[in-house]
Amino acid sequence: MASAQQEQWGTKLGVILAVAGSAVGLGNFLRFPGQAAANGGGAFLIPYFAALLLLGIPIGWAEWAMGRYGGKKGLHSAPAIMGLMAKGSMGRYLGVIGVLIPLGVSFYYVFIEAWTFGYFLKYLTGGIGVDTSAPVADQAAAASSFYNSFTGSSGDGVLFTGDSKLTILSWITVFAINMFFVFRGLSKGIEKFCSYAMPSMAVLAVIVLIRVLTLGTPDPNLPDQNVVNGLGYMWNPDYSRLGNFQTWLAAAGQIFFSLSVGFGVIINYASYMKRNDDVALSGLTASATNELFEVGFGGMITLTAAFVFLGLSGTAAAVATGSFGLGFSTLPVVFAHMGPLGNFIGAAWFFMLFLAAITSSLSMYQPAVALLKESLGWNHGKATGGIAVLGTIGAILTLWFTQGGAFWSTVDFWVGTFLIFVMAGVQIIYFSWVFGIDRGWREIHNGASIRLPPVFKFIMKYVAPTYLIVVFVGFCVQNLGSSISGAWASTGSRVAIITIVATLILLTLIVRAGEGRWRREGIDLNDTQPAD
Amino acid sequence: MTTAGWITMLTALLVVWGGVIWCFRKVLSTPQEEKAPIGFGP
Repeated sequence: MASAQQEQWGTKLGVILAVAGSAVGLGNFLRFPGQAAANGGGAFLIPYFAALLLLGIPIGWAEWAMGRYGGKKGLHSAPAIMGLMAKGSMGRYLGVIGVLIPLGVSFYYVFIEAWTFGYFLKYLTGGIGVDTSAPVADQAAAASSFYNSFTGSSGDGVLFTGDSKLTILSWITVFAINMFFVFRGLSKGIEKFCSYAMPSMAVLAVIVLIRVLTLGTPDPNLPDQNVVNGLGYMWNPDYSRLGNFQTWLAAAGQIFFSLSVGFGVIINYASYMKRNDDVALSGLTASATNELFEVGFGGMITLTAAFVFLGLSGTAAAVATGSFGLGFSTLPVVFAHMGPLGNFIGAAWFFMLFLAAITSSLSMYQPAVALLKESLGWNHGKATGGIAVLGTIGAILTLWFTQGGAFWSTVDFWVGTFLIFVMAGVQIIYFSWVFGIDRGWREIHNGASIRLPPVFKFIMKYVAPTYLIVVFVGFCVQNLGSSISGAWASTGSRVAIITIVATLILLTLIVRAGEGRWRREGIDLNDTQPAD
Repeated sequence: MTTAGWITMLTALLVVWGGVIWCFRKVLSTPQEEKAPIGFGP
């Protein structure tokens, strides 16, 4: 089995762009600015960069190194690689989480990706119908009405029975594109797509940024609503917020989810590297790229544009509606005020979000494809077909149970948030304490063109796990009570819980089948022999 | 925008742009593909 699966990245740059593409998503442009503005503005950057250095980058390096180590033994799925790290079955079964997370998140993520694509099409053909001659409150209501209709949030099944055909068509299109590139394979599909999509996304971000920074003072009657004050809304530091644990928690959470550590993708992607490829520099470069899109573009565009047209109270209200409210209800009002260029900027913005989303969603299928190939001995086409079936089932549930976003928000909390903490914790503890930090340190530096400062050895062994546990406990205290009670509150959330459990059972059975197969093939499952 | 706001923003931009430029220069300055030495092997 292992010898039959010899996929590899075509270039060193290819894997970096693919991992960066996986990390850069909607959260970079929509979630980060809202989190920063609500938690001390520029002061938020202090706990944010602290979490980047102490949590995000070190755990990322561990995941890169684990993945490449697994690849040296011909293993590519998170369960198999985690089994190597843990030297036993416990790691393999915990590694199931590393496939469940990306697959489960893909169920709803592609739906949200379809929103970006559908909005892009609408802006190409005249916008979503916001009338700038109406009062601002009516414009916001029109944008919200379109958003609610497009996403089907008014009730379960409305996307199939109402006039929201564009949503379904957008989903079919983006899902087909995803499957096409996954089917094409790692190098010819995902790598090639990301090698065009990432630079394109950067160009679009620069276009939108230039437009936003040149807005000046659009309404002379409202001189305070200008670009400089808009930047101030985002960046003026409120250092008093640094004494609040919530600020540190929000910063760590943002870094954590933004970098995609503990998501199950990096470990899988890194397993396709060549045995002496540089994981230290690759991990750092992917993280740096993510930060550029998040701080350099997300931090400059979103709230500045909203402030210039909506003012202080309007922007604060938009931030309070959350990431999706900001991106899909508020910004369309902003684009409508940009005059003749508004639809072009809107189209550029939503196509940029679409590229950010699809480079992430492509990465969500590959871990499950790898598991099917590795565990069941399926060829690439059959494995892609299997994932297409699972993805379609998950998507149909997402598309049907849309009322209040109950289905996808439940999956997002338990799979896309809670389990990521668990997976990252398991990974860093296995890497530093079971595989061994000395061995892990050598593994990170094998083939590396940079030397990591020795302090990171200490950080990876002690600081990152402790930091992670503190953040996780804080996260649970803050969210777990309401999420447990809400998990059974509606039909959508109940179906989501059943879907998560069913997927977990299915993946566990697949890993069990794989375990028997790997033993029969004489693979060194428990890492009794070093890879080198 | 306050002076502290300008300083924070410009510092953050310097860090992220500087970081990404340094990393990509380093990546692109190393060979992309390892080639087997000519004359070796069967």
